[in-house]
Amino acid sequence: MTSFQVGHGLAFLTVLLSLSTASIGQNQREAQSPVPRSAIHVTQVLGFVGAKHNATGELKIQGGVMEFQHDRSTAAQVNISSIQNIFVEDGDKQVGGTVMTLGKAAAPYGGGRVVSLFAHKKYDFLTVEYLDNGGGFHGAIFQLEKGQGETFKKALVANGAHITPPV
Amino acid sequence: MKTNRQTPVGATNTTLRLSGFHRPNKHCRPLAAVILLLVALQLQVFVLTVLAESSTNRKSGGARPWSVQVDRVDPGDVGLDPSFGAAIYENLLEELTKTEQFKQVFRSGDRNANDAPGLLVLKTTVQKYTPGSETRRAVTTVSGATKLNVRIQLVTREGQVVKEHVVDGNVRFIGGNLRATHNLAHNVAVTLKRSTLSEQADPVSERETGKMSK
Repeated sequence: MTSFQVGHGLAFLTVLLSLSTASIGQNQREAQSPVPRSAIHVTQVLGFVGAKHNATGELKIQGGVMEFQHDRSTAAQVNISSIQNIFVEDGDKQVGGTVMTLGKAAAPYGGGRVVSLFAHKKYDFLTVEYLDNGGGFHGAIFQLEKGQGETFKKALVANGAHITPPV
Repeated sequence: MKTNRQTPVGATNTTLRLSGFHRPNKHCRPLAAVILLLVALQLQVFVLTVLAESSTNRKSGGARPWSVQVDRVDPGDVGLDPSFGAAIYENLLEELTKTEQFKQVFRSGDRNANDAPGLLVLKTTVQKYTPGSETRRAVTTVSGATKLNVRIQLVTREGQVVKEHVVDGNVRFIGGNLRATHNLAHNVAVTLKRSTLSEQADPVSERETGKMSK
């Protein structure tokens, strides 16, 4: 193992680490600001009718309706009064997407594992249970920035969403 | 003096018969080939028809087309995260729809299911749950797996259990924790597709257990 290879590997690891910490830092700055009244940027993981899995977009409360807008497509809506329960949980996910995954795999000398320690970020996961017009039960999961989950939950409750108290 | 060479009558007749046999045989060969070809084609059509019917029967789960209503997931006493319960439920609806085994797939509480003929209800109870950690999986590879173990039951409106299975769904290496719910739903759908549903939906006499993990 030559010194050139060691130096090359260390440089690659440094780049990966700096990218992951930069993206986490930027998102933390965004999360520290209070939830705007208009809309919050979320990822719809699954379950919201009319929205694709893992679609990113804006989630907002408007006129008794919870609305998710993905890009410029038609917004998916649910009446807040049909919401039966809301849960907020902590979770973490890897940042960087496919590029990060490939970079970690390519990192030499097991450096990918070290990068993994810094490439995961904490999020809030908002689960909303609601009924459609036919009485059918739905469970929608959204990924929010850390700290936004409880605020959005309180806003939904204030607008008429139901919450079943824990047994 | 001419002498007529007289061949014996029998030999002549035999010759004539033989020649008679050989002459039409030349025309029979193409005719026989045509007949064989027609028989082969008919056989092929028959086999294809039988195969198509059997696959239709398999798709419809038997002679009677069943519909299924997916009940809400019972979290049991395992401390299941609410997001996992919702994800299992939604993924089950998606995977069961993809299999095309059931005529219709209804959500829990859907009023349209009340009038559906041949309705079965899918009940899912979580028996074991290991939350796991995506970070641990990425760093250590061998630990941090997210694991789910559920018991599924197909019951009639009257509450008779038709099918019962135990199914696993895990994520060990690549993917987020919620990926386990997708794997579980897929395994449930595959397990149900392998089970044959008779026309009468006979109740389970012995419990069938099928374990699958991904």
